[in-house]
Amino acid sequence: MGELAERAYLPVKNGLEQVGEMMVLTGKTLLSAVRPPFPYGLEFVQQFYFLLKLCWFPLIVSMVTLSYGAPGLQAGNFLEIFGSLDRLGGFFVLAVIRNFAPFVTAVILAGVGGTAITADLGARKIREELDALQVLGVDPVKNLVVPRFLALMVVTALFNGLAILAGLFGGVLATLTFNAPLGPFFSTLLTNATVTDLWGSLLETAIFGAIIAVVCCYKGMTASGGAEGVGRAVNQAVVISMLAVFAFNYVFTQTLLATHPEISVVK
Amino acid sequence: MSWVAIPRDLFASFGDIAKFGWRVIAEVLEGSAVRFFGESLRQAGILIVGSALVIWGMAFILGLTCGVNGAYFARSIGAPQIGGSFSALCDLREIMPLAFGYMMSAKVGTGLVAEIGAMRISDEIDALEVMGVSSLAFLCATRLLAAWMVLPFMYIAAVAAGFVGSYISVVQQVGEVSSGGYSLIFWAYQNPPDLLFSTIKGMAMATVIVLVGLYYGYTASGGPVGVGTATAKSMVLNTIVVHFLSMLGTMVFWGANPRAPIGG
Repeated sequence: MGELAERAYLPVKNGLEQVGEMMVLTGKTLLSAVRPPFPYGLEFVQQFYFLLKLCWFPLIVSMVTLSYGAPGLQAGNFLEIFGSLDRLGGFFVLAVIRNFAPFVTAVILAGVGGTAITADLGARKIREELDALQVLGVDPVKNLVVPRFLALMVVTALFNGLAILAGLFGGVLATLTFNAPLGPFFSTLLTNATVTDLWGSLLETAIFGAIIAVVCCYKGMTASGGAEGVGRAVNQAVVISMLAVFAFNYVFTQTLLATHPEISVVK
Repeated sequence: MSWVAIPRDLFASFGDIAKFGWRVIAEVLEGSAVRFFGESLRQAGILIVGSALVIWGMAFILGLTCGVNGAYFARSIGAPQIGGSFSALCDLREIMPLAFGYMMSAKVGTGLVAEIGAMRISDEIDALEVMGVSSLAFLCATRLLAAWMVLPFMYIAAVAAGFVGSYISVVQQVGEVSSGGYSLIFWAYQNPPDLLFSTIKGMAMATVIVLVGLYYGYTASGGPVGVGTATAKSMVLNTIVVHFLSMLGTMVFWGANPRAPIGG
């Protein structure tokens, strides 16, 4: 019995400790981002550029295929029964702008960008470069974590715009598959879309970026344990960031829908 | 790194992965994995203990999200009673395969790369070959067999977790439809073939994810850093494959026939 309690208690304690340490890292990152001096400009630009080059292709492919299949064909078939395929555009506001675009952006940025960041920082950790930086008096949080944090926030929010465009392209493809004209699609899309949807989507993805950055930087900077160390760090980073992002997504969607009833009125 | 590095890498390694994947599948079909059935069972146990809860948790969270969206959508067209139809289609046909694919690639796929990659760079795989044990059969085929044994059941349980999530968010949280009314619509909008199709979708994703993980681990090089890079790379391919298979499954299974209980 005592052993069983021990086995259940240790992982919980470990998990809570890690959450606490991530919170501390978030606080430190925010503080050193606003407190002068600001040595991270160049690194920010480099990381921004790096993420852009890394993620554009997976993002576009994933978003077009997903929105063609899930909301496009599935909902299109459903609306076709009622002979109201023009409503597909209105549905795409709910499906793509409010849900799938942030979803896919988060998955790609966590799976492609976040893992690259964890692998990079993990490699520096086990080569003891991070310790060397600290010996030289360079703060790793200020010089490595802050630029990645800011770059991921900005890139995730901007990629969300690209994901919305790619998603709408999937919708256009689906409409063409049903041999329907595109005019009604865009007209219901534009009458149903609201500014609230767009800023909600952008704010959501910016926060996603922050979550992914903190989790991935933390896991990279604490990588340890021989040959498997960095790989395991990447594994844990992507699992934790996806779970955290989707849990946050639920809370955010719920709050947005409940506090802005006007956006869920079909026009 | 250039702008086209990622697509070029993917196209370049696509043939290698297909060839490697086919060899592993052939090993399983030829029965080499059965010779190491004990190892397969051990891997199946690791899969259940290590990954089941995370996958079900993800399915549950996405079920909640699906339910909230469905409930508000149904309310917006003035018919909150039909919230169940949206969550039935959304959960079973689209979101559960996706949730399963995401978490499989994040937890199982990258885990395999880290584990097998570490074996490769510490020369354990070569040691196996020297001892006369086929590493492809002992390491790769057993893991694929374990995945095939465990994952269908894990997938169906994940769908159940998603259904519970949708029920909670539509009936308990938004609360504009009675429990019975929700169940009536919810179960009317799905039937056993749908579950079968959805499971096929999930299993296709799982098979590819396991093979990709095995490939990147088996071919890892360049020390612990190389294992980390290979792990990150496997996620790039896996995210694309999951979305692509999701679309393909939808086209094949529901593309021509929505299978909805409407009309004649």
